[in-house]
Amino acid sequence: MTPQADSARVSFWTRLQAIDRRWIYLVLAAVVIVPLLFPFKIKPKATTPVQKLFNYIDTMPREKALVISIDYTPDTRAELQPMVVALLRHAFATRRPVGVLAMAVYGLGLGEEALSQVAAEFNAHATNHEDSIINGEDYVFWGWTTPPLTVMLGMGERITNVFPVDYYGARTESLPIMRDLRNYDDMGILVTVAASAMPRSWIVYAQVQFGVHLSCGITAVSAADFYPYVNSGQFTGMLAGMKGAAEYEELVTAKMNKEGLDWGLRNRGTEAMSSQTAAHLAIMAFIIIGNIGFFATRRRK
Amino acid sequence: MQRRLPLMLVLVTGIFGAVAFFVPHGAVRSVDEVFRNDVQRILAAFSLVLGVGSIVQHHLTKIQRKASFWQYSWITLTALVLTAIVGVFGGIDPNRPGILPTHIGSFSFHIQTIFSNMMVPLAATMFSLLAFFMSSAAYRAFRARNVEATLLLAAAFILMLGAVPLGRAIHAELPSFAEWILAVPNTASKRGILFGVELGIFATSLKIVLGIERGWLGGGGGK
Repeated sequence: MTPQADSARVSFWTRLQAIDRRWIYLVLAAVVIVPLLFPFKIKPKATTPVQKLFNYIDTMPREKALVISIDYTPDTRAELQPMVVALLRHAFATRRPVGVLAMAVYGLGLGEEALSQVAAEFNAHATNHEDSIINGEDYVFWGWTTPPLTVMLGMGERITNVFPVDYYGARTESLPIMRDLRNYDDMGILVTVAASAMPRSWIVYAQVQFGVHLSCGITAVSAADFYPYVNSGQFTGMLAGMKGAAEYEELVTAKMNKEGLDWGLRNRGTEAMSSQTAAHLAIMAFIIIGNIGFFATRRRK
Repeated sequence: MQRRLPLMLVLVTGIFGAVAFFVPHGAVRSVDEVFRNDVQRILAAFSLVLGVGSIVQHHLTKIQRKASFWQYSWITLTALVLTAIVGVFGGIDPNRPGILPTHIGSFSFHIQTIFSNMMVPLAATMFSLLAFFMSSAAYRAFRARNVEATLLLAAAFILMLGAVPLGRAIHAELPSFAEWILAVPNTASKRGILFGVELGIFATSLKIVLGIERGWLGGGGGK
């Protein structure tokens, strides 16, 4: 190779190393937006922690409640809200009582959004009172109160003491669902959906003291922090990131189809997987190109 | 007295909180319940008043002094007052109206609408910026400079591929291998870190309860 060609190649890699970051932003925006508009078919297969949580909820006694704690804020809604929706669909499809509370004040709006969406999906196909999903009978939205320590310890004694009124202002004592949902003993499992260290507090204050079954739905970036608790059995399975949500959605869809509830509902987590796949591949390509440039320029030096 | 009283309160409540955790006697339980359900909630309510008071005072001062970007302080204060009024008096949604009308014709501004159409997109936008910064950082800084960095790079590749369904298409066992990395080497190191962190929390808590660590009293900390 001539020195000129060699020098041209070096300058190409050097220029590539110093590329304007706005090009990177543009490529990433494109790989996120295009698959959202034209998604490619992806069928996630459940990993062990997801399957474990699904199986537990699916086989727990009918009278035991699924309780979901909304411990995240709107910034992580895209990743975590599909988990809450899938969990609610699973519980309503198998006619289990549901309790929802918020540990973050922003969780109120997110909880209300998920509950009203899923209740409306089921009520749109209901033909009688038994088929319907009724607030106060099939589910209760306790709302938010603070501090978390008071909630976690107080719910072990009497939930109505911690939440005297629900989110909609009704006396919780007067709600039919609360007759059989007094404290942690009446819960099949409590799933904390969080983008913080809140699941750890649930272990310390709710599980260690009262022995409640726990699981968690968390952002992909914090999955590594909670694996020790999944391995120790303190969390019964785990939903990690959008992939975890998509896997759970697939399991719930299959279950609902089997039960004759084939309504063609949208699965937001699964829909976003093509975008996430493309974004991951793009980031990997960036790393590879960056490293090739790094080694090419280093060799010349 | 100004410093001694808070120290005494922390000593008594700190020791009682620990004792109540281990002693199941009825009297201890009922006092603990009063502390948790009543005293803590009253304190939390005060912190809300303090928080609102502090943000109002901060922005009013900024406006008075015409500090940099003082115009945005008006937006903060207006948003604070309006959402508080709508939230307290406007009900939850159109099906559960409050005493304040929250729609003008078909234009609705009840608290759930404000939350879903302003709070959610604003927060999501801020968080999604992270993806752009991360991509740029991955391109510029994620280099296989030495053995440790190469190992980190390899683990990151496997986890990124394992986190998307494409990983299974490349190799059927790739997602399982990614899960193994999280479940075994990651857990082992995390447990070590957690033990250290928990021991640190315990030691710091003990120092605060016993009045050795007094930084929380303000005035520069120390003894």
